[in-house]
Amino acid sequence: MEGFTAVLLIWTLIAPGSSGGSGREAWPTHLACREGGLEVLYQSCDPLQDFGLSMDQCSKQLKSNLNIRFGIILREDIKELFLDIALTAKGSSILNYSYPICEEDQPKFSFCGRRKGEQIYYAGPVNNLGVDIPKGEYQVLLELYTESRATVACANATIISF
Amino acid sequence: MAPDVSCFLLALLCSASCEVITSLDQMCIEKEANKTYNCENLGLREIPDTLPNTTEILEFSFNFLPTIQNRTFSRLINLTFLDLTRCQINWIHENTFQSHSQLSTLVLTGNPLIFMAETALNGPKILKHLFLIQTGISNLEFIPVHNLENLESLYLGSNQISSIKFPKDFPTQNLKVLDFQNNAIHYLSREDMNSLEQATNLSLNFKGNDIKGIEPGAFNSTVYQSLNFGGTFNLSVIFSGLQNSTTQSLWLGSFEDTNDQDISSSMLKGLCEMSVESINLQKHHFSDFTSSTFQCFTRLRELDLTATHLDGLPPGIEGMNVLKKLVLNVNNFDQLCQINAANFPSLTHLYIKGNRKRLHLGAGCLEKLENLQKLDLSHNDIEASDCCNLQLKNLSRLQSLNLSYNEPLGLQSQAFKECPRLEILDLAFTQLHVNAPRSPFQNLHFLKVLNLSHCFLDTSNQGLLAGLPDLRHLDFRGNHFQDGTIPKTNLLQTVGTLEILILSSCDLLSIDQQAFHSLGKMSHVDLSHNSLTWDSIDSLSHLKGTYLNLAANSIRVIPPHLLPVLSQQSTINLSQNPLDCTCSNVRFLTWYKENLQKLEGSEGTVCANPPSLRGVKLSDVELSCGMTAVGIFFLIVFLFLLIILFIFVVRYLLRRRYQHI
Repeated sequence: MEGFTAVLLIWTLIAPGSSGGSGREAWPTHLACREGGLEVLYQSCDPLQDFGLSMDQCSKQLKSNLNIRFGIILREDIKELFLDIALTAKGSSILNYSYPICEEDQPKFSFCGRRKGEQIYYAGPVNNLGVDIPKGEYQVLLELYTESRATVACANATIISF
Repeated sequence: MAPDVSCFLLALLCSASCEVITSLDQMCIEKEANKTYNCENLGLREIPDTLPNTTEILEFSFNFLPTIQNRTFSRLINLTFLDLTRCQINWIHENTFQSHSQLSTLVLTGNPLIFMAETALNGPKILKHLFLIQTGISNLEFIPVHNLENLESLYLGSNQISSIKFPKDFPTQNLKVLDFQNNAIHYLSREDMNSLEQATNLSLNFKGNDIKGIEPGAFNSTVYQSLNFGGTFNLSVIFSGLQNSTTQSLWLGSFEDTNDQDISSSMLKGLCEMSVESINLQKHHFSDFTSSTFQCFTRLRELDLTATHLDGLPPGIEGMNVLKKLVLNVNNFDQLCQINAANFPSLTHLYIKGNRKRLHLGAGCLEKLENLQKLDLSHNDIEASDCCNLQLKNLSRLQSLNLSYNEPLGLQSQAFKECPRLEILDLAFTQLHVNAPRSPFQNLHFLKVLNLSHCFLDTSNQGLLAGLPDLRHLDFRGNHFQDGTIPKTNLLQTVGTLEILILSSCDLLSIDQQAFHSLGKMSHVDLSHNSLTWDSIDSLSHLKGTYLNLAANSIRVIPPHLLPVLSQQSTINLSQNPLDCTCSNVRFLTWYKENLQKLEGSEGTVCANPPSLRGVKLSDVELSCGMTAVGIFFLIVFLFLLIILFIFVVRYLLRRRYQHI
């Protein structure tokens, strides 16, 4: 009987994914920029894939019209693409914002209209407002999604201003 | 030793069965029985055996098929649509689709193709749509020409194509869409374009190619449905290259991330030399903007100047008599009069939405637009204390008006008297000040659709919706009723023609039994996201065959006498309610299982009570609420004892009575 228990124990330990584990581990946390008293870290919250992002000239006095570099594989057509931003600090919500990036009647960026499966690399301006970031740690949830609410990208970002 | 071996075998068996379970987890999703399947992102190396032979539509993107060949899909002979996006396909061997005579759409986007065999696409009798986006193609000879006679659309975006010259034997006669987005095409010669000679009404997309030259006359002979040169640096090249061409629509817009030269009036003279019906110039800057800018626009039917940094249009533009549709979204106007609407007397559609400044409507700014049918003024921060007769003066043919997402508007009685033919009126998310007992929509005899969602209306005004004899669709979500109750007499009583009524997110606690009595034609009632309980269902008892949405309310139990009311409707949504799954609700639970075909959102229709069943789908609940065996046993014992006691008492009484005898 002891042998049985032992075998069973070993089996439950080594059997892949059968013990109700949560499956895939989380994507690594990346550094988007660290400069001028500002640090921006992000992690993809799309279970299917990671993506790459870096920001030029980041600083506590965030300039308007920042340039970014962004690389991803599209899982959906992006004829219509929207961005949701949810900013929180110390657990309380500061800002919720929704912004259309690609619309049928106004494709703002040259990548609008590209198709599922395409690999995208964007290096260019993001048309943001300039803002001074007060000292502190902020959590930002960024979501890119299509008209059918299908996720294109999802990021959990942490902004540390010191 | 023997027990150990058997134990090991047992464990092996167990793990084997668990593998089966995990592979079941990884199964394709059936979207339509025996017909449509989604197998995306499963890392599959072959077509799963579980897919039926009858599969017609197969979404197979993000799997792993380095080589596809004759036997890869051979079992699924009924395929009409096959999506193989990003399956890491390198090789498409001979006769891969030989047995797929019905295949009409093949998507190969994002595969690192090394070689396609000459007969790779043979087999389908009506291959109409082929997607070869980002497959590394640099030369059009790469595409096997056999069996493309029926091709209607060919997508070749994001490759390294520098010349659009098709091989001689490439069949183009049925082509309608040819997409070359984001390639490296810099020059279009006559010879290039001649290879497309046979195509008629073609839509050609050159967006994201920096076109530096077009041979004069290259676009001469053919008629195009649409031409897209989006993001081109120098538009002069395009205008001079398109001389003597004929096209329905020409897209010349720019983007946030592309550099372009300012458009000058002299540049636009090129338009005089071509025939275009519709033109889009979004996001460009104009270096000078006078009435002469438009001198070659006289044959234009549609003009889109979205986000072109305009603060007005010049007066005195002549000859634009045929312009039907004008789009001026996302510009910098202060006053509506600055668009000088009199320039465009034939306009039927006008869009001015998302203006970057607060837009003042002024008075009678559009009064010359007698033919205007559709007007969009949404997202403009428009504010007016007395709207809208002065502002919309003389728009007697207007059928559709959008004033949603603006600042507060004050409406008097008959606020839309100037546009009596309105059929659709959208005021969503614009706060409306209407003093009781005014009826702002009075005399809109043709109004069919009215969107008043989130307008902060005073719902105690019984006359608010008076004078709408033909209203079919009322969106009233996000408005509040006094005490959270719709009383017996309410503002809906004047709109007896309603077919669609949306009252979601109105913070409703109850609805009077008679509240909807005058609304006998309703086919769609949305009461979701309120706090209604079962007693409000009575108000729907006179409706039959209705779509009824009661999701996200506070319904716990539904008593048996209300089940016929639900039974007579066509579709019901009861998801996200704190439903009771105890024996007190057993009649409803039985009804639920018998009427599953009527119910929508069954995934979210779960028990809230008792705690042991919390989160369990209603359709999975098994309740037995008859008397249990133990109960029956005790009852019988009890009755038995009672009878014995009775006999004893009778015997005792009889004995006492006849004791003395």
